[in-house]
Amino acid sequence: MSDVKLVVQRFDPFRDAKPRMMEYAVPKREGMTVLDALLYARDYLDHSIALRFSCRQASCGSCGMKINGRPRLACYTPVAELGGERVVAQPMDNFAIIKDLVTDLESFFGKHRKVMPYLMRVDFEEMEKPTAEYMMKPEELEKVLQFTYCIKCGLCTSSCPTVATDSKFPGPQALAQAYRYTMDPRDEGGEKRLALLDEAHGVWRCHFAGSCSYVCPKGVDPALGIQLLKRHVMSGKAPRGEGEGAKVWSAPAPQQKQ
Amino acid sequence: MKESRLMLIQYGTAVAAVALVSVHLVMQGVIVPYATAISFSNILSIYRNGFYAIFLEAMLVVVLVHGFNGVRIILHELRQTKPWTTWVDAGTVLAIVVTVAYGTRTVILAVFGGVSA
Repeated sequence: MSDVKLVVQRFDPFRDAKPRMMEYAVPKREGMTVLDALLYARDYLDHSIALRFSCRQASCGSCGMKINGRPRLACYTPVAELGGERVVAQPMDNFAIIKDLVTDLESFFGKHRKVMPYLMRVDFEEMEKPTAEYMMKPEELEKVLQFTYCIKCGLCTSSCPTVATDSKFPGPQALAQAYRYTMDPRDEGGEKRLALLDEAHGVWRCHFAGSCSYVCPKGVDPALGIQLLKRHVMSGKAPRGEGEGAKVWSAPAPQQKQ
Repeated sequence: MKESRLMLIQYGTAVAAVALVSVHLVMQGVIVPYATAISFSNILSIYRNGFYAIFLEAMLVVVLVHGFNGVRIILHELRQTKPWTTWVDAGTVLAIVVTVAYGTRTVILAVFGGVSA
């Protein structure tokens, strides 16, 4: 089988003035992904290539990078799918480079934490020790289900034109998660979340370019979530307002087996 | 003012601007032939029509508020420091007030005879 030309962007901010491209010839094999090609290059051709990966099955979101100019997961991109004999791997845009293909996700996760991506209840005691099982109706689950598939890979954020210019903009991932938890009928902290996003660098800076939805490897549509979130930010009301916990459809907690 | 209120104004003025400018173009390009519409005497008669003077003033306010608020949004994305945000917001309000005042002055002068054909 022929070789695939793997071009990797190399950059060490402590040593290099600017990034450089290095080419490796990797033997093609059937079903080879870009991650496989990168690991071959690192294991047999150049041990100094830095890349981040873990699950190899598009579950962990670690191997996000720009492949042939488009943000993708390296483990989820077959080399054959890229057409030509040349594969160009670069770090994701909109993130600082730690080394080569490894980017700094500190601010990305910071923004994710800032939107409080967890269920909040007014009654703290009840939240800690629930007296019943809080359930969702199937139609309520349907509204948020796709957003729960987010693996926090950062591809949406790397493709967002607003993130590229506005460092305070939360980005599509954080905003989609804000929508996901605000729409959850078990949550009572929606209004806090909405108030947080109603500022000069908040949800309104999304101009609906839609690139986040285009690149998401899990089929999530963050752009849709953001537009729906805007409606709630405008009214300032979450579907389940604070103190309206009684609206939550609950069923008695199942008896524990002795 | 909350950003959501400002965006509501932005969307409202966008819709209003499309409606007002459309009516204006139909009135001054279709109903009145364009060559006649841009003659000085016709423009003066438009100003002196009370209804149309109010219409022009409304168009002035709507377009300027929408335009300057749009520039404010772009400038906010340019830099993200607190002083920059404050100066951009203050500058936007000032620009709207000054330009609306200057445009209103023109309307008032034309309506009350400060300008003659």
